[in-house]
Amino acid sequence: MNSNEDSKNLFSKLTRAPWFLGILIGFLAALLQALLISGGGPEAYGFCVACHTRDFINDVFNEITGQSLGLAPISKNAATAVLTMIGVMIGAFISAKYYKEFKLKKGTPRSYLLYFLGGIAVLVFALLLGGCPYRAALRAGYGGIVAIFGILAMAAGVFVGTKVVLWKMKQEAV
Amino acid sequence: MIAEGWLTAEQAYWAIPVFTLILGLLIGFLAQRSGFCSIGGMRDLFLFKHTRLFFGYLSLIGSAFISYAIFASVLMPDAFPNWPWFGTQDSVFTPIPGAPGGLQNTDYIILAVIGGFMMGLLGVLLGGCPLRQTVMGFEGNLKSIFFIVGMCVGAILFHAYISPWVVSLF
Repeated sequence: MNSNEDSKNLFSKLTRAPWFLGILIGFLAALLQALLISGGGPEAYGFCVACHTRDFINDVFNEITGQSLGLAPISKNAATAVLTMIGVMIGAFISAKYYKEFKLKKGTPRSYLLYFLGGIAVLVFALLLGGCPYRAALRAGYGGIVAIFGILAMAAGVFVGTKVVLWKMKQEAV
Repeated sequence: MIAEGWLTAEQAYWAIPVFTLILGLLIGFLAQRSGFCSIGGMRDLFLFKHTRLFFGYLSLIGSAFISYAIFASVLMPDAFPNWPWFGTQDSVFTPIPGAPGGLQNTDYIILAVIGGFMMGLLGVLLGGCPLRQTVMGFEGNLKSIFFIVGMCVGAILFHAYISPWVVSLF
């Protein structure tokens, strides 16, 4: 194996390693705050699926309807709201297409309704916690004690959820 | 205290959309490659004792802790005026802003526990955290596309109705 192939393998391994992305997000969130905090807070806001979606959607909604739904100062003070989630969508799409992993998977109308309502509920609960699991992790890393309660509660919720899933599987097997 | 970063407010005006877009592209690409998921990580740990995804979430918490510490204490203290958060506030339980404003610290702990628990429960039942759903949607999963649309509607509903209602409860 030559060194070119070695580096290709390393790249492929790293991109597939969740721990690598975890470390990268933590570092980039701190770097972004060091760069951009003059534009507005809050702190520990580098990456958040729920809040950054909220910022973008509410900004567009306010623009169209003339209302003033809440969004973070960093999104109010800039040319546009944070575009993180637009980036995630494009990035995931490019990756799925490039590696030929894009596959159209349809569901039933009932499942669409369930996921739609689930999306509403998950975003609402995330904003009650003050961020999705990722911003909760950033807040915990920043020294926010309340976020640690949120993460522990999330683990409890996941634990109960796995019990529900196991119970359902048993019901279906009988 | 007013925080000051490496860029001025005028520079940040354009840098915010550009940098967050680049950040998102990078995270979206790597999340698609690795299947990164916080709730999925906990689920795999509890169900199968698989630690691959769980270590992703743990490494994020660890990396955030170390990165914030290095940036705040050495590289750019002015950009991190309230670091470490628990040491700079009136109470160690003061939350970092994000949840609805103007409540007591104990109320925020209650909201965090309810929000966290329900997010974990629903996340398992629907097969992934908000990030994983977003990525799955753009891998072609139409159910996840409906989840994303739900999140967008939820954002508007939350700020128009739910947040004022929750604040009125306390």
